[in-house]
Amino acid sequence: MTEKDIPEWLLKNENYVPQLDRDTFVNKSITSLLSVLSHIRRQSGHKTDLFGINAAFSVIFTILFVVLLSVSRGLVFVITANVYLLFMLCFLKSEDIVVILKTSFGVAIFTFIILLPTALYGNFYSIAMITPKVFASVTAVNILSRSTRWNSITGALKTFFIPDIFILVLDITIMYITMLGEFSLDMLYALRLRSVGKNKSKHTSLAGIAGTMFIKSKEMAEDTYAAMECRGFTGEYRIYRKFKFSFADALYIIANVLIILCFIYFGRYLRK
Amino acid sequence: MIELTNVSYSYTDIPALNNISLNISKGESVTLMGPNGSGKSTLLKLVNGIITPDSGSYRFGGEEITKKKLHDNRFSKLFHQKIGFVFQNSQTQLFCPEVYDEIAFGPRQMGFIESEVEKRVKDCLNLLNIEALKNRQPYHLSEGEKRKVAIACVLSLNPEVLVLDEPLNGLDPRTQRWLVEFLINFNKGGKTLITSTHNLEFLQEISDRGILFDEDHCIAADMEMDKILEDIDLLKRVNLVDEYYHKHVGSKHSHFHLHNY
Repeated sequence: MTEKDIPEWLLKNENYVPQLDRDTFVNKSITSLLSVLSHIRRQSGHKTDLFGINAAFSVIFTILFVVLLSVSRGLVFVITANVYLLFMLCFLKSEDIVVILKTSFGVAIFTFIILLPTALYGNFYSIAMITPKVFASVTAVNILSRSTRWNSITGALKTFFIPDIFILVLDITIMYITMLGEFSLDMLYALRLRSVGKNKSKHTSLAGIAGTMFIKSKEMAEDTYAAMECRGFTGEYRIYRKFKFSFADALYIIANVLIILCFIYFGRYLRK
Repeated sequence: MIELTNVSYSYTDIPALNNISLNISKGESVTLMGPNGSGKSTLLKLVNGIITPDSGSYRFGGEEITKKKLHDNRFSKLFHQKIGFVFQNSQTQLFCPEVYDEIAFGPRQMGFIESEVEKRVKDCLNLLNIEALKNRQPYHLSEGEKRKVAIACVLSLNPEVLVLDEPLNGLDPRTQRWLVEFLINFNKGGKTLITSTHNLEFLQEISDRGILFDEDHCIAADMEMDKILEDIDLLKRVNLVDEYYHKHVGSKHSHFHLHNY
C-alpha cells in the first residue's frame, strides 16, 4: 500500500455537525457495569479479610445472626444486635460504610412502607420489630460481603460440607462474571465511541453486543473445559484450605457468643 | 493538538497515571512504550474520553475535555468523530451482523446518503484489502482480519487522530508488516497517529517520537525514537529489554534482534 492509495476523503478534515441523539441506555449500562466490576475489584484488592478473621467464622456467625434475628421476639435483643452491627461498621472504610448504610436504610424504609397498612389496623408491633430486623439482617450480610474476599467466602463453604465441585463452579462463576463484565464494558465503550451521530436502530447494536457476548461466553466455557481436561480433570476436584485460628478469631467468637447469650437472656426475660 | 498537564488517574486506590504532562502536535506519529501495567492503555483511554483525569487537565484542539463536556451529547459525538480508537482486543469493537454493516455503522450515523456510505465502505475495504470479507460475520474472522475490520470501522469516520492500543499484538508477521506499512502511509497523509506497544521491532518505522513509561506510571523519557532505542540502560531500567538485546554495529544493515538461545 502507498500513500496514493489513500482515498481523497480520508485526507481531508471532516466538516461535520452531529445531530442530537439519546444515549441514556448505553451510559446507564456502562455506569452499572462499572459499579459491579469496581466492587469485585475492590474485594479482590483486600490483602486480608476484616481484622484477619477466619472467613469460616464470619460466614457461620453471619448466618446464625440472621437466623436469631428472624426468630427473636424481643425488641431489646433486636436493638442490641443493631448496636453491635453499627459498632462493627465503624471499623470499615468510610466509602463501605456509606454504601452499606444506604442499602440497609433503603431496604428498611421499603419494609416500613410495606408494613404501614398493618399500623392502620393497630398492629404497631410488626412495624417496630420487623423494620429493625430487616435493617440488621441486610447490614450483617453487607458487612460480610464488603469485608471478606469472595474466594474466602466460597472457601468457607467447605466448612458446611458443601461439595468441592460446587465451590469450584462458584469460584469459576465469579471469575467469569468479572471477565465477561470487562469484555461487555469494552463493547459498550466501543459502541459509545462509534456512536458519533444519530443511531436509528439502537436495539440492533445492543442485540449485536448481546449476541457477541453469548458467543464469547460459549467459547470461553469450551476453552476452560478443554484446559481442565488437559490438566487431568476427570470430574472430581478437591479444595485444600489451611485452617487458621488467631487472636482476632477468639475475640470475634466471644463477641458472637455474647450476642447468642443476649438472645437467650432477653428471650427468657420477655417470657417472664 | 493534544495537551496533557499534570494528569493523574487511579483505579480504586491503584495508581495508573502519575503526574503525566505531554503535548502531541497535529500530524505527529507518537508511540507510547513501557512494560505491562505502566499506564499506556489508561492514557489512551483518557485521550479518547473514556475516562477523565482525577487531577490535571486534558485539552484537545485547545478545548478542555471534562466529564461535564463529555456528558454533552453533541460535544461528545463531535469529539469521538475527531479521534478514533482501535482497541487492543478488536473483537470488542465489532457488534454488527456483517463486515459491511460494521464499516457503514459510523457513516450512516453521520447522516451520509447511502451511495456515499457505500463509497466510504468500498474505499475502506480496498484500503485494508478486505473486500473478500464484506459479507462475512465479524465474530468468525481471524485475529488479523478482526483487527483490519476494526481499523476500517474507525477510518470510515475519517478521524483526525488515530489511536491504536497494542496494534501488533497477536498478528502473524505478514499482517504485522502490512499494518506497519499502512500506519506509515496513513501518517504521511497528514493524520496524527498515537500507538502503544512494548514490541520494539517496528517502532523506528512507525514513529519519530517515543514516550517511555516506567513502572511508577510516570514518563521516564520523551524524545526522538532513535535516541530512546539507543539508550539501552534506560530500556533495561523500564524492563523493555533484557541483557541479550543488542544492536549490530558497523555492518551495512543495523537492526535489533532477539536471541532464541
